[in-house]
Amino acid sequence: MKRAIALGSSPLLTSATPIWRSRLIVAGFALVFLGLGARAAYVQVFGNEFFQRQGEIRFERTLELPPNRGRVLDRNGLILATSVVAQSVWAIPENIDRQHPNMPELARLLDLPPAELQRRLDRHPTFVWLRRQLDESVAAQVRALGIEGIHFRKEYRRQYPEGEALAHVVGFTNVEDRGQEGVELAFNAHLSGQAGSRRVLRDRFGRVVEDVRAVIPPVDGRDVQLSIDSRIQFFAFQRLREAVQQHQARGGSIVVLDALSGEVLALANYPSFNPNQRRNLTGEQVRNRALTDTFEPGSTVKPFTAALALELGLARPDTLIDTGNGRLTMGRFTIRDIRGLGVVTLNEAMKASSNVAMVKLAQQMQPRDMWEAYTRIGFGQRPQLPFPGIVRGRLRPYESWRPIEQATMSYGYGLSTSLFQLAQAYTVFASDGKLLPVTLLKTNQPAQGVPVFSPQHAQAVRHMLALSAGPGGTAQRAQTVGFSVGGKTGTSRVQEGTGYAINRHRSFFVGLAPAEQPRVVVAVMIDEPTVGGFFGGVVAAPVFSATVQQTLRVLGVAPDLSVRPHIVADLAQEPG
Amino acid sequence: MTRLNLVLLLVLVASALSLVHQQYEARRLFVALERANAAADRLASDHEQLQVQKRTLAAPARVQQLASQRLQMRPIHPGITEVLVLPAGGPAGAGAAGPVQRLQGPVAAPAARGASSPALVPGSTPSASPGARP
Repeated sequence: MKRAIALGSSPLLTSATPIWRSRLIVAGFALVFLGLGARAAYVQVFGNEFFQRQGEIRFERTLELPPNRGRVLDRNGLILATSVVAQSVWAIPENIDRQHPNMPELARLLDLPPAELQRRLDRHPTFVWLRRQLDESVAAQVRALGIEGIHFRKEYRRQYPEGEALAHVVGFTNVEDRGQEGVELAFNAHLSGQAGSRRVLRDRFGRVVEDVRAVIPPVDGRDVQLSIDSRIQFFAFQRLREAVQQHQARGGSIVVLDALSGEVLALANYPSFNPNQRRNLTGEQVRNRALTDTFEPGSTVKPFTAALALELGLARPDTLIDTGNGRLTMGRFTIRDIRGLGVVTLNEAMKASSNVAMVKLAQQMQPRDMWEAYTRIGFGQRPQLPFPGIVRGRLRPYESWRPIEQATMSYGYGLSTSLFQLAQAYTVFASDGKLLPVTLLKTNQPAQGVPVFSPQHAQAVRHMLALSAGPGGTAQRAQTVGFSVGGKTGTSRVQEGTGYAINRHRSFFVGLAPAEQPRVVVAVMIDEPTVGGFFGGVVAAPVFSATVQQTLRVLGVAPDLSVRPHIVADLAQEPG
Repeated sequence: MTRLNLVLLLVLVASALSLVHQQYEARRLFVALERANAAADRLASDHEQLQVQKRTLAAPARVQQLASQRLQMRPIHPGITEVLVLPAGGPAGAGAAGPVQRLQGPVAAPAARGASSPALVPGSTPSASPGARP
C-alpha cells in the first residue's frame, strides 16, 4: 500500500502526507455539499410554505382600498351630503421629542391646548390619535413642522352643505363613516359600498413596488336621491324657525308632501343642529320631532269625522246640527265649544270647529266604523318610511272604547299621532279619497293610493277645509296671495301625568293647496308657544301660508285666484 | 462545438441582462403608474371638495342673505307690479338717468319714485349713463 502521494517524478518532492488525509478532506467536502443539498431541499421542498410565509411577512402588504360613500342628493341633484378626504393625525409618543421647538405650533394647528396635547401623548407609548379628520390643508401644515413620530392616515369626512335646515332628514355618520341618524343610517347599506384590496410588495422605504396579485377594486357606495327639494326645505325651515322664535316655543316641525306623488318635499324640525359641527348635541336638537313625537291631534281630526259621517250617510254638508249653547254633558264630563253656535249646518260647524257637532255625529257611529276609518288613514300604523325611530302613534282597539272616549276621539283627543302621520292622512282629501303612500326617495310616477272615502265626499270635505281657511273661519291666517287653500287648525293641551296642563299647548295646522286641485299637503306643529297666542290659527297657520306660497311658486303652479293689487301709498319722487 | 457553446453563452448573458433591464423598466413604469393614480385620486377628491364648497356658497340661506342685504332684493309678490318708464327724451337724453317708476299697485295715477336701491337700478334703466351711477 502506497503511503505517500507522489506529486512529481523527483523523490525530493515526495510528500510525507498520508493518503487518508486527502480522502478525509474529500469526504468532508462531500458531507458539506450533502448538507447544503439537504438544506436546499428542506428550504425549497419540505419547509417551503414556512419560508414563503416569512418572506411575505417581511415584504408583502395587503392594502385596503376604502370605497367612496355614496352621496345624498336632493330631487334636483344638488348635493346634500358627500364625503371629502380628511387626514387623521396619530403619533407614536415614544418617538416624539417632547421638547421640540415646534410643539406649541403643533398644538395650535390641532386646536388643542398644549397641556392636553402632552396629556394625550402620555396615554399610550406606541399609539395615540391626536386629531381625527383634519382638513387636508391643515394636515399639510402639520406635516411641514417636521416632528418625528407624527403620522397621518387618510380618511373620509362627510360634509353637509345644507347645514341645519336638513340635518334631521339627512342625519350624519360617525367618525368610522357609518350612518348614525336619518337617511345616513336608514340607507347605510346602500350608501356604504364595499372595500377593495390589493396585495403589494414594498421596498425598504415602504414604497409600493409591485402588485403581487390582481387588484380587487373597491365598489363605491351608490348615491341616494331624495324627494326633498332643498329650496322648499329651506323656506319651510326658515319660516318654522321664525315662528318658533317669535312665539318662544319649545320647538316645532313642518312636513310638506306632494299631493300627486306622495313624495316628501320637505321635512324640517326646530331646534336643529349643524351636522358639520356636532359637539355638545342635545336630544332636543337631534330628535326628528315630525316622526318621533306623538301628540293628540285635536281639531285636525274633525275633517275625518265629517268625512266618515258623509260616507255612512249620517249627514250631508248642509245637514243641520243643533250645537245648542256649546255645551254637551256626557256623564260627569262636559264637552265645550268656544262659543255657542246654535243650529248650524255641518259646513258651518266645521268652519267654526265645533266639538259638540262632531260628538253628535260620532254618537251615531259604531266604534268599529270609526276605528276602521282611523286605521285606514294610518293612525296607529307606522308610516312606510325607512327611518330610524319612527313611531306609530296610539289608537286603542275599538272593543275597549267607552262612550266618552268615542266622543272625544271625534275631535282628536284620546288618540295620538305624529305630525307626519297627520300630513299623510290629509292626502286622503287632496287626492279625492285615496290615501297616498309616502316616499322619501324621488319617484316620477303618480302614487297609487288606497281608497278610503269616495271622491265626492272627499271633495265635500275639501270644500269645508277651504271654508275653514276662508272669511269667518278659524284659519284665516292660512290664506295666501293667489292660491286658494284649505286646512284645519288644531290646538291641543299638552298631557301632563294623567291630566292636561293648563298653560301648555301644541298648535298645529294641516292643510292643502290649491283647494280645487291640491298639489301640496302641508302640516305645521309648534310645540308650547308662550308668547303671542297659542291657537293653531294664530301660531301655525301663518307658517303654513308662507310655506305654501313659496312651495307652489317653486313647483311652478299657476295661481288660481285673481290677485288684488296692493296699493302702497309711499310712492314719492326722489331726485334722480 | 466550443464555438456553439460560446455563442450560447453570449445569448444567455444577453438574455439575463435584458431580463434585468425589463424588470427595472417594469418597476419604473409601475411607480409612474402609482404616482399617476395617486394624482388622479387627489384630483378627484379636490373636485369633490370644490363641489361641496360651491354648494355651500350657493346654499339658499346664504343666497337669500346676500340677495336681501347686498342687492336689496325681496321676494316677489303677485300684488306688486313694477313699471319702468323711459325718460321723455328717450335714449338721447343722456345727461341724467331717466326716472324709474316703481309702481306698486294699479298704474292709474303714476307717481314716480326714484331709485331706492342703487345696486339694482342702473342695469334696469336703458338710458342710464355712467355719470348717473352712484
